[in-house]
Amino acid sequence: MIEVEALAKVFRVHKKEPGLKGSLKALFRREWTEKPAVKGVSFRVGEGEIVGLVGANGAGKTTLVKMLAGIIHPTFGSAKVLGFTPWERDNRLRRQISLIMGQKAQLWWDLPAADCFLLLREIYRIPEALYRETLDYLSGVLDVRKELNIQIRRLSLGERMKMELIAALLHRPRVVFLDEPTIGLDLTAQRAIRDFILEYRRVHRPAMILTSHYMEDIQRLCERIVIIREGEFVYDGPLVAVVQRYAQSKVIRAHLRRTPEPVQVDGDLKALGEVVSCSPEEICLRVARAEVARASARILERYPVLDLAIEEMDIGTIIERIFRERGEVGGAGGA
Amino acid sequence: MSPRLFLHLLAFEFRAQLAFRATFWINALAGFVAEFGVTWFVWSAVFRESGKEVIGGYTLDGMVLYFLSVVLLGKIVSGREFEGAISGDIYEGTLNRYLVFPAPYTGFKYAQRIGFLGTAFVQFALFGLAAILILVLPPGNVTWASVGMAAVTTAAASVLYFLVDNIIQYVAFWADNVWSLDVAKRFVTMLLGGYMIPLSVFPGPARGVLEVLPFRYFFEFPARVLLGEIAPGEWAKGLALMAAWGTAAWVAGRLLWRRGLLRYTGVGI
Repeated sequence: MIEVEALAKVFRVHKKEPGLKGSLKALFRREWTEKPAVKGVSFRVGEGEIVGLVGANGAGKTTLVKMLAGIIHPTFGSAKVLGFTPWERDNRLRRQISLIMGQKAQLWWDLPAADCFLLLREIYRIPEALYRETLDYLSGVLDVRKELNIQIRRLSLGERMKMELIAALLHRPRVVFLDEPTIGLDLTAQRAIRDFILEYRRVHRPAMILTSHYMEDIQRLCERIVIIREGEFVYDGPLVAVVQRYAQSKVIRAHLRRTPEPVQVDGDLKALGEVVSCSPEEICLRVARAEVARASARILERYPVLDLAIEEMDIGTIIERIFRERGEVGGAGGA
Repeated sequence: MSPRLFLHLLAFEFRAQLAFRATFWINALAGFVAEFGVTWFVWSAVFRESGKEVIGGYTLDGMVLYFLSVVLLGKIVSGREFEGAISGDIYEGTLNRYLVFPAPYTGFKYAQRIGFLGTAFVQFALFGLAAILILVLPPGNVTWASVGMAAVTTAAASVLYFLVDNIIQYVAFWADNVWSLDVAKRFVTMLLGGYMIPLSVFPGPARGVLEVLPFRYFFEFPARVLLGEIAPGEWAKGLALMAAWGTAAWVAGRLLWRRGLLRYTGVGI
């Protein structure tokens, strides 16, 4: 449903020296610089798939989404959404897609959501019965029926985001772009929106692209992620495979029975792996994947272990490390 | 854009205007009183101090009636409160929302602009009539036929003004903020369109040039049609000229829009 091929966007931005001198100079002569925001990204998204677009601030996620939603033109590369080139803005495509930007309100501030939805019904030419049915379903699932007649600006952030979701899904789009849909929301609202997105996906099977800084969003909603770093493609594949591919170690956590002589960090322990922490009650070691079995056996043999746990590295930490370690991790991905 | 969607958008924007009751009435009353009041005082003083009974072909009553028509129709034509909406969308990135909709942006904005004219229509119907009765102004050559012709002319002038204004609005794709261009445009159109002084006071050769420029068709022409000062032949010629300028402005606007979208970054406040 979405095919992206070597898509790139270079922005031309004006550079100004700081201070009054710089301002005066810029009045007569401007310096421009080219800022590549997306550098030849390729991937595909199928029906019913939620793909997480992951990257640090300025990685190019929103630029990529804007190109796929037809808002901005790419510098080069190609993309097809439902068989159409998005930036040609064919109405046949626009009737089937939707864009939700958590940082930018799409609804009309001064009117109640119900009025905005009526306008969207006209814009998307939604038949009356289907409109009623969809609005009833969406407002019910998101629990905002009582708020439909309240001015948007008087709603809480969470309620507003729910209204934005309803507005974006009223016409039952086949492709949905979700740009930071849970930003700024409290934990309850975040959970409600995640549950709703999953339910919507189950019922309607749209292709979805999600960008979010909350790893919880990515972990709950996406089986597959595309990682971009400074506009460059880093990884495309299952979320779980990121762990296999980039997490070179695991954490062994051993809870100990208290003994008269506390555990010492000695050469033997250090030889097993990196000692994360060591106390009379617990030893925590980071061990290379290949060494996990041997290290576990040695700990069980040498210490009075009550309980032993082997943990994968937190996905958020792994991705954060990928963002940080520029050049050290890279290359093309799977999928 | 379907007429149904156009009407819906128009009504939608009108509803948004009515959301602020106090603002609506303050804008309607203050906007009219300030503008028309100043004009009335100025021209009363000019006639009194000059000792002349006729200036530019108008008596004082005729001049007041001319400016009453220009101010009231001009507000409908220019949709002044809505000016800057398109450049604002470009600058603030709210254009993103409209680019995703399966509806033409220009049609969308024009419908919103007409819906935004609620205060202007109230001023026209309510305060215009009140001013005529309070100042005991003569009806001049106003007839039902001239009112009908003026309605058509005002509608055409509104479209023409919108198309010309769009050219300036689209400059925001390159210049981000076009507020100063807006101010310059407003001054030029008001001066050369007969909004500040009647065009009949300009020297003869200048009047000849102003006849063929689009500005007079924004303000002076609809007002004089309403006052029954334009013969049917001249009216038809004026409408033809408006159509020509409208077509030229539309072509220029489309070119700027297409080129501008190539530069649009969708970022904003």
